[in-house]
Amino acid sequence: MPHPRAPAKSLLHLNARGKGDPVKGPPARHEEPKEQLPAVEGVITDAGELEVGDRVVYPNQGVCRITGVEKKEIAGQRLELVRMEREEDGAAVLVPKGKVPTIGLRKVASGDQIEGVFHYLAAQYDDPELDWKVRHRDNADRLIAGGVLGVAEVVKGLHSLSRIRPLPAKEREQYDNARHLLVHEVAVSLAVEPGLAEDYIDYALMPPPGVTFKLKPPPKPVELPARPRRKVVRTDEEDLGIDDLGLDLSLGEDGERPPGAEATAGEEAVAIPGIPSPDDIPLPDTEAEPETVGEAEAEGAEPEEGEEVPAVPPPRKPAPAKKPEASPASKAARSKPAAVKKAAAKKATKPAAAARAKPAPKKAEKKKPAAKAPAKKPARGGKKK
Amino acid sequence: MIRIVTLSPFDEGDIAVLAKTLFTAFGLGTEYAGERQLPPEAEQDDGRYDAVKLLAEVNPVKTFADDKVLFLTDAELAMRRGPLGEPPCWSFAQYGGEKAVVSTSRFPERGVTEASIEAWRKRLARESIHAVGHLWDLHHCYDARCAMHPSWSPSLPASPEAELCSFDREKSERKVRLAKT
Repeated sequence: MPHPRAPAKSLLHLNARGKGDPVKGPPARHEEPKEQLPAVEGVITDAGELEVGDRVVYPNQGVCRITGVEKKEIAGQRLELVRMEREEDGAAVLVPKGKVPTIGLRKVASGDQIEGVFHYLAAQYDDPELDWKVRHRDNADRLIAGGVLGVAEVVKGLHSLSRIRPLPAKEREQYDNARHLLVHEVAVSLAVEPGLAEDYIDYALMPPPGVTFKLKPPPKPVELPARPRRKVVRTDEEDLGIDDLGLDLSLGEDGERPPGAEATAGEEAVAIPGIPSPDDIPLPDTEAEPETVGEAEAEGAEPEEGEEVPAVPPPRKPAPAKKPEASPASKAARSKPAAVKKAAAKKATKPAAAARAKPAPKKAEKKKPAAKAPAKKPARGGKKK
Repeated sequence: MIRIVTLSPFDEGDIAVLAKTLFTAFGLGTEYAGERQLPPEAEQDDGRYDAVKLLAEVNPVKTFADDKVLFLTDAELAMRRGPLGEPPCWSFAQYGGEKAVVSTSRFPERGVTEASIEAWRKRLARESIHAVGHLWDLHHCYDARCAMHPSWSPSLPASPEAELCSFDREKSERKVRLAKT
């Protein structure tokens, strides 16, 4: 069964390559950290460049005007702070002078940059990123570090996507925020009213019927720096899509998994009374869960394994000492480990139950269809074969 | 409160319907506040009126805090040319501000039949909601069924709805709530 995350990977891959030559979606994040990415044009790297009255763009906040530099004592530290006023609503923003180079403060986009933005907006765009997690994360970074073109990329990308399907609430909000930032920066840069700036933007995005533009090649999309890789603490069972590659990374780690837990479709597992095997513990895997639930429903109101096993002791079959190699078949079967394991355990318990038969006939009979379903009785729920 | 001011003659019935629709859309009281003259300073050589100048030069209307003024005219409006050309101007609003103007010059003919009048009123209501929406900080919406969708968009239906989408409705409600002192 293909893993649900697999298509996203391949799409990401496609996006990174791009196809055709109309404007591609913004490039995917670099796999390897690149230290020397070209800095976004206009980024202020030294607080000394700032002068009172300058207009700057604070990422995710909008256009601000420098109103002064002041000294304040905060928590025993004497700090020199740059005071800014957000033009939109007059909100005050104070930034320590030393932090100015790191917050992505930049100058308001120049005329050339804005022209590039409009040519970018008006160009054809047919490659929206379809994995919402990647898209949302990258868009958030673009808004912070991408300059005016990064903001335009977010607007363009989400706008293109909205033509395919309505945006989810979070992205709808992100789209609105990006649009807000872009409108105000364009308005300041072109010295027009924000209402006009928005009309210009939408004229480029959605030209009226019959209107065509003579477009210049759009500017190169913004390259995002690599994100620092987080150390993810995860269990072996957590599925990262590795199973689909046919690799077994858990082999050789003896002791982490009891031998019986490697139950596969082709073999019978030994259930140890009172100890649920790791495979029976629901995994945090989105793929396996729905199937497990489905199986459980098909089996009817079945008692917990912990309750059932002591009542009917498992047969004394020799346990497979160690599974030497996981075959591709076993890999496939591991996509629904809990269900397989349960079925196998039932198979094992059934003969014993039949031998003793009488004491608990009702329970045993009830369970039979589920356990033996593949061999004898047709499934009632339609799920068993 | 939304105050409707006409810059050219309009039918009373049309204004009454419009006031009702705006009240429904924004939950704000709406009333007709009289007629003003088109400011001659805003007129261009081609006979059109510069929308930005028009709002700047028109005779003031008495307002209170958070009041919005909607001007209606049948004169053709124009905008300053942008980087890719001049967008068609159906209406113009001071974003997050106080004044907006809607022109009926691009509407389909009002006609005399009930259906055509109904369609014309619907379009007037739609453009007015669009303009007042900008006054309440709403941006253009990608949803063609929303009144905030650009009026010239090729995906706009022939008879567009005079309603806001849920996102814009919630946003405008939030803004209106915050503005109420």
